[in-house]
Amino acid sequence: MEFLLELLTEELPASHIRSALDQLAAGFRKELGEARIGVSSLEVLATPRRLVVAGDLAAGQEDREEVVTGPPLAIAKAPDGTLTPAGRGFARSQGIDESLLEAVRTPKGEYLGFKRKSRGTPTSEVLAVAVPRILGALTFPKMMRWAESPFRFSRPIHGLLCVFDGQIVPTAFEGFKATDTTVGHRIAAPGPVKAADLASYRAALEKASVVVDPEARKKMIVDQIEAALAPLEAGIYPDPELLDDLTLNVEHPLVVFGAFPADFLSLPLEVLATAMREGQKLFSVVKDGKQLPYFLGVADAAEDAKGLIRRGNERVLRARLADARFFWDQDRKVALSKRAAGLGNVLFQEKLGSYADKTERLKKIAGYLCDKTGASDVKAEAVEAAGLCKADLLTEMVKEFSGLQGRMGGLYAREEGVPAAVHRAIYEHYQPMSLEDESPASLAGAVLSVADKLDSIVGGIGVGLQVSGSSDPFGLRRNAHGVCKVVLDRKLVFPFPLLLDRVLAAYGDRLTLERPAVKAACLDFFSGRLRFILEKRGFRYDLVSAALGPGIGRITDVLGRVEALASLGSSPQFEPFILMAKRINNILKGVPAAKVNPDLFAEKEERDLHSTLTVVRDNAGPMIVRGDFVRAQGIVFRLQPVLNTFFEKVLVMAEEKNVRQNRLGLLQSINKLLLEIADYSLVVVEGDRAAKPKAAR
Amino acid sequence: MSVQGLILGLHNFWAGQGCYLAQTYDVEVGAGTMTPDTFFRVLDKRPWRVGYVQPSRRPDDGRYGENPNRVQKHFQYQVIMKPSPADIQDIYVRSLRSLGIALEDHDLRFDEDNWESPTIGAWGVGWQVMLDGLEISQFTYFQQCGGIDLAPVPVEITYGLERLEMFLEQKDDIYDLDWSADVSYRDLRLREEKEFSEYNFSAASVTMLRQAFGACQKEAARLIAKDLLLPAYDMCLKCSHNFNLLDSRGAISVTERVKMISQIRALVNEIARKYTGGKVGA
Repeated sequence: MEFLLELLTEELPASHIRSALDQLAAGFRKELGEARIGVSSLEVLATPRRLVVAGDLAAGQEDREEVVTGPPLAIAKAPDGTLTPAGRGFARSQGIDESLLEAVRTPKGEYLGFKRKSRGTPTSEVLAVAVPRILGALTFPKMMRWAESPFRFSRPIHGLLCVFDGQIVPTAFEGFKATDTTVGHRIAAPGPVKAADLASYRAALEKASVVVDPEARKKMIVDQIEAALAPLEAGIYPDPELLDDLTLNVEHPLVVFGAFPADFLSLPLEVLATAMREGQKLFSVVKDGKQLPYFLGVADAAEDAKGLIRRGNERVLRARLADARFFWDQDRKVALSKRAAGLGNVLFQEKLGSYADKTERLKKIAGYLCDKTGASDVKAEAVEAAGLCKADLLTEMVKEFSGLQGRMGGLYAREEGVPAAVHRAIYEHYQPMSLEDESPASLAGAVLSVADKLDSIVGGIGVGLQVSGSSDPFGLRRNAHGVCKVVLDRKLVFPFPLLLDRVLAAYGDRLTLERPAVKAACLDFFSGRLRFILEKRGFRYDLVSAALGPGIGRITDVLGRVEALASLGSSPQFEPFILMAKRINNILKGVPAAKVNPDLFAEKEERDLHSTLTVVRDNAGPMIVRGDFVRAQGIVFRLQPVLNTFFEKVLVMAEEKNVRQNRLGLLQSINKLLLEIADYSLVVVEGDRAAKPKAAR
Repeated sequence: MSVQGLILGLHNFWAGQGCYLAQTYDVEVGAGTMTPDTFFRVLDKRPWRVGYVQPSRRPDDGRYGENPNRVQKHFQYQVIMKPSPADIQDIYVRSLRSLGIALEDHDLRFDEDNWESPTIGAWGVGWQVMLDGLEISQFTYFQQCGGIDLAPVPVEITYGLERLEMFLEQKDDIYDLDWSADVSYRDLRLREEKEFSEYNFSAASVTMLRQAFGACQKEAARLIAKDLLLPAYDMCLKCSHNFNLLDSRGAISVTERVKMISQIRALVNEIARKYTGGKVGA
């Protein structure tokens, strides 16, 4: 039977709608499930003013029969079969007629009991209780109060439509009694709209200029865009995020096609697209990678018969583009190097000082990184870019369109005639903004990107900023993902802890926490982020643990280690080797460091093991230094047969202390070598059930 | 329609909604929210409805009269309705219709936009109202002011008069607007924009502004101690304007900016706390 609910509100933000729909679907499934109401289907829909739940539900709970048991039969009934006072008392206490009592066989013996039939509650009654509870539990990223109530919600509520099987559900929410009526489009058809089920609701609203299904609205937008652009054989610059938001911003989408004067095409594409998107939410029109002097907007209206919506948007865009051109012309009058001098007045972070301070640090860090990553060819360019990269924060364009930071600096630098490697590095240095975003294409850009992000992370952690749950105000998580992505994409090989030391040194005495603590916290934080990234790439959690076991000497090594583990994971040698590593690890638990003296070897097997180890170490060592963990691991695996024989023939815990110490020392040398590749003891193999740790966020 | 026709229209409409029509406040402010007719009146429990025009000064927006859209002083029409009426969005829509806008031919949108003013410890939740892509109003359910949780919740509607008038007159340049039948915005304001831009960005004496900021700040604290809250608040407004001027002169360093804003906020919050009888907001 059909269930339909609509919560009518004032215009909800798109992000709130998405979150509310997830919560509603989960909330109804949970409540109905717990109430044992069959759910054949359940869907959630929305417009900016409506949160809608529709479903096909059972008429009510199923009738139930339960067996209630009382005292043992021997006590409840006399030998002649009549009820004893205990038996009668049971019937009385349950409020039933004595004739309903019967013997109930249980594993513990026979008892007096009866079958209680309970009729299921009708769905409508269940909904009457569940609806206000589910709606009242909705939470939003930012909540508000209105009028005189202490109740908090995303935006004020205006009505509750709630019907089941054609009947109004007897319920209410925050003073709104459920009805079977809502209203149409705010401007086009504000009158009342009646609905008995989803089909009639959809149809009646459609007549009242409201398309209630977001997917249907999205299709309308996409189709209308296509139709508008077909004659031009052009397309929109793809922007799925904007499309999704617009779908949730309108009740009745109308695509509006407009134009702007072609002389604005002299502005950089980045500026044009941003001016259109930000504020006005317009799509830009491109053909063969070139911007055309047109735009597409999405209005919330049935039609634009007089062309007023188009003309209005054209006028606003013209003014914005005129502003942008003014900024572009003005900004170029002052060289970036001159502008950078004013960065002392721009706050980076309250305790960490200004962007001038940050610029000085970036020069040092970028220079150091170039030296350490074999990028000394671009050192001069990277350092020059570091000095200029934040100067665009003082340009009018970036003050107006903050999303253009970095890119604008790069464009202005190019206009000034700054060398290509420098302006490209400036342009790219905020990239990547997420794990899905592209890393900088240029080497100097990659170095600067890492330097900038790591500086922010060390500074943030150094003054006690924390990441918790979904809250990450200083962008530490995003920045760490950026660092890891660039380093892995560009294969930047450098000693990570030493780079941290360099960044810490660049901060001087600005940080509020002690350097060793900050360094440890950074390594720990990166370890968590690398785990997240590698697990996201599909590596098994235990292999990631094993790869992170030796610590983050070089970020690239962590990936190399886990790849080596994964590549050999399927070989038949792998499991016995892991078990061997675990065995060694167990034997050595709590054993103090011991020295190996070859003269003390008594058995052939331990001499063999020692000489094999020496050969293996000599061969694997350089590979480990190179980061070639696949080959190093292959060589280390050769220890296994020798180790097997060793364990078969040699008693490690020998009576004589010297011999025992010597053997333990030998195993420690092996363990040390293994640990240079991975902490194999953390790999989970068959018959070894280590609990999966909670996934890192 | 002219600017003054627009003002008269809004006056008429909001008077019809039971608003008292206040006169423009005579201390420089950055927004209509900052005048006592809003700031103090939203703090207490008493129902309040007011509408007024407030010149709003934002020294940094000066463009020497050369930009068709931006000015260092513009006019806001400010409405406060406390408690927020359930049909306030409909009332607002009717106000636009009363100005002769046939909304059926246009695209009216309420776009998420949350407002805050750290200087007066205030924030709210609401929208910017867009008409065919043009922002014509700010629509805010006020949640906190002077650091105090507001109950009942007032709704604040701020019309940008020049923006709205440019829409009504279909003009691309603010200076082409008609203020009345024979006085243009250019006649009234162009010289002011040129001279004040020069003052805001170059001529204002940083030394004098710093002294003024310090003196007003001291005076505010002294007046608060004497429970003279309205004069103390005026001093805070003067601090705020002096701060804005220092900012547009590029005279404020990083650490100073944070410090000065929090200094003003501390005074304003103290005024609000005393005004409401010592109750402290969450």
